[in-house]
Amino acid sequence: MELRPILSAMLRNKTGAILVGLQIALTLAVVANSVAIIMTRVEKIGRPPGIDSDNLFFVQSYGFGPNYNQRSTIDDDLRLLRSLPGVVSASPISQIPMSGGGSSTNLGPEQTREKVTINTNHFSVDEHGVETLGVKLVEGRNFTQSEIQYNPDPNSSEFVPFVILNKDAARAIFGTEHAVGKTVYDQSHSAVVIGVMENMLGSWVGWDKLTQVMLTPRIEAGPLSRYVVRAEPGRRDALMAEVEQKLSNSNSNSNPNRAISWVKSHTQIKERSYRADSRMVAFLGVLIGLMVSVTALGIVGLASFHVSVRRKQIGTRRAVGARRVDIIRYFMVENWLLTTGGVVAGSVLAFALGQWLSSAYSLPRLPPMYVVGGVVVLWILGQLAAFLPARRAAAIPPAIATRTV
Amino acid sequence: MLAYYCRIAIKSLRRNPMLTALMIGAIAVGVGVCITTLTVYRLMSGNPMEARNDVLYSVTLDSWDPNKPWREEHPELPPPELTYRDAQALYNSDIPDRKVMMRKASFVVEAPPKSGVAPFLVTGRTTTKDFFGMFNVPFKYGSGWDRAADDAAQMVVVLSKKTNDKAFGGANSVGQTVRLDGHDFKVIGVLDEWAPTPLFYDLNNGAFNEIEELFVPYGIGTQFEMQSSGNTNCWRDQDINNFQDFLNSDCVWIQMWVELRGKEQAEAFQQFIDNYVREQKSLGRFERPLNNHLRHPDEWLKVNEAVEDDNRVLVGLSFTFLAVCLLNMIGLLLAKFLGAAPLVGLRRALGASKSAIFQQHLVEVGVIGLGGGLLGIALAALGLWGVRHLYESYDELTRLDFPMLLTAIGIAVLSGLLAGFYPTWRVCRVQPAAYLKTQ
Repeated sequence: MELRPILSAMLRNKTGAILVGLQIALTLAVVANSVAIIMTRVEKIGRPPGIDSDNLFFVQSYGFGPNYNQRSTIDDDLRLLRSLPGVVSASPISQIPMSGGGSSTNLGPEQTREKVTINTNHFSVDEHGVETLGVKLVEGRNFTQSEIQYNPDPNSSEFVPFVILNKDAARAIFGTEHAVGKTVYDQSHSAVVIGVMENMLGSWVGWDKLTQVMLTPRIEAGPLSRYVVRAEPGRRDALMAEVEQKLSNSNSNSNPNRAISWVKSHTQIKERSYRADSRMVAFLGVLIGLMVSVTALGIVGLASFHVSVRRKQIGTRRAVGARRVDIIRYFMVENWLLTTGGVVAGSVLAFALGQWLSSAYSLPRLPPMYVVGGVVVLWILGQLAAFLPARRAAAIPPAIATRTV
Repeated sequence: MLAYYCRIAIKSLRRNPMLTALMIGAIAVGVGVCITTLTVYRLMSGNPMEARNDVLYSVTLDSWDPNKPWREEHPELPPPELTYRDAQALYNSDIPDRKVMMRKASFVVEAPPKSGVAPFLVTGRTTTKDFFGMFNVPFKYGSGWDRAADDAAQMVVVLSKKTNDKAFGGANSVGQTVRLDGHDFKVIGVLDEWAPTPLFYDLNNGAFNEIEELFVPYGIGTQFEMQSSGNTNCWRDQDINNFQDFLNSDCVWIQMWVELRGKEQAEAFQQFIDNYVREQKSLGRFERPLNNHLRHPDEWLKVNEAVEDDNRVLVGLSFTFLAVCLLNMIGLLLAKFLGAAPLVGLRRALGASKSAIFQQHLVEVGVIGLGGGLLGIALAALGLWGVRHLYESYDELTRLDFPMLLTAIGIAVLSGLLAGFYPTWRVCRVQPAAYLKTQ
């Protein structure tokens, strides 16, 4: 192998080699860390919501004036919603899962300050809530109609006697023991767990307690009310328009004492909550693409340039017996050496950058896999980028050696 | 002479069009990416109260749980909002020139029946009279309210431009009546376009939200027992059964700002709030150590981390990308300049001085930098167009303005020169004799 002459040729133009190496090193460092950030965001966005997200939509209504009656409005609205063809199920709901707005309560297995520490996302629904959200009960039972509480004072902090927990909340509070039949406490109240359901996500997508959820059988006091509606597959969008039209003030049959402030699908709500993350993915994706292209084009440009200034040398080598493949190999090996130098330095840089990012911005640590992947990609990219100029070099005729300038 | 150098530079650049395109392209992409992320960063890290930064202060008291700080990661920070009763007590002080306490509430707006606009829900703010003056809020029609309106919770309202457009078609509605939650309110003012970014006065309720859609006297919220539509946080185990219980509770939900002139006034007010808290401590409240803060808007934006970490990371990575583009350019320039070394040798032999060669090459580099910068601005405009799609609500704010254009050109030319300096210096060291021999 002709490593030595290649190396010594490179050493004659150290600066050029160092520049390309440094460029490759920085590219590796940035690409590996960007991919790592992208993957954590993609994973975050891809978490299963645990509810029938695709077929759900939400309606928000706001009552006003002295003639507004929260309870009868909700009863009328639910009756209407449930009567519409295409609606599988509907329920009042206090907050919207994954919307970035919600309420949370500290719960515990005993009523002492030290134990009441399990922060739980809290949604109030009626007896149709579990079915509407599309979460499976795994143990115990659902709420019954008679258990649904209503207190017309919006300030009341009164608690409910029965709750349903999801698996994560049950495990956080009771460990491996069966939760059904046990009592949960907040700081001043208690409730019996009547059911445990599959996991669903709570209110704030950036919160580490997102997976702990409690449902309570309660209709919230006014003037705000929200409904969750589960549509038959494929009928969501048509139903949203129909519901908006039927409930809103422009319809003379509807309640004149309230305004429908919006009707939104869960898809829209999720998209909005994850916007910061999808934005980061888009930004970094573009950055990686540009960086890799600039580096690859730089290698092509530099190699072509080297070929063009070395025409005479190449011709001479060909004249004294080097085959085309030898010329190609020369440039490929040269490039491989450069890339290798670059990725070795780049791996160190990548981990240093990863370390700094994780300490300064509390991002997760850089998994070595991404650096390894980056090294392989850059090797291949470098070889591809060098191949074109190398082939052009190989096409230089030996006769050129005999010509003077 | 410069014109001549420019001509040589362009001639030289045209000799290797691919290489030139690569160099200009690399700088352009590098500048484009940096300007895009910088514009977003600058937008996020701006201080809309820069002009009044020295006199405005946010007021915070540490009334939180003795067993747990407000934020576990930053135990030194008190909650960003106050309880209703504490805000009331501090508001009664006459030390500040101007002061404001406020919170959010939802309202259903009914426009005059003849307008045909269906009732709609808006986010409003119940606040005190100084809000408009302290924060330099621009009015299109009318003005804010006075002390009497605050004291008597008069039913007057200031509409945002957006609400006025919707309910009154943008006409001067001062003096007209609008129904809010079923009560008649008199319109006394309409705001002009106002988009403080970040929304410094209430960072806890969406730092990049738009302003509220209407403003009414603070007392209205209490009189109509309106629930807060903003963030409300409670820690103490208290039985709350009605609105009065809630007002007396230790839940935090009120924002407070004061205007203090000079150090003495600031110290006097700090003294006042500390004394207030000490007095409350003797009554069994405020069990945490004394930790009350008056913060200027710039500091307030900083401790509340209005700029997302993501944006800082992006700016850092963009500049690393620019560095890669520059390394790329240095490599290409070096190869190109040294490739043309025989020509330089010839010129030197014919009498060109080193400094003339240096200037010639520097002009060439400058042309690349300028070309890259201009193309970079175009790319940044494209990038920001993409950003607007990603950040729906920043529409007006993510446009390139004059300082940003200057920054773009500056970065491009500076980085062009920076990248060109070494290759230029190298080519100047060419010994004419070495090249003449081979000819």
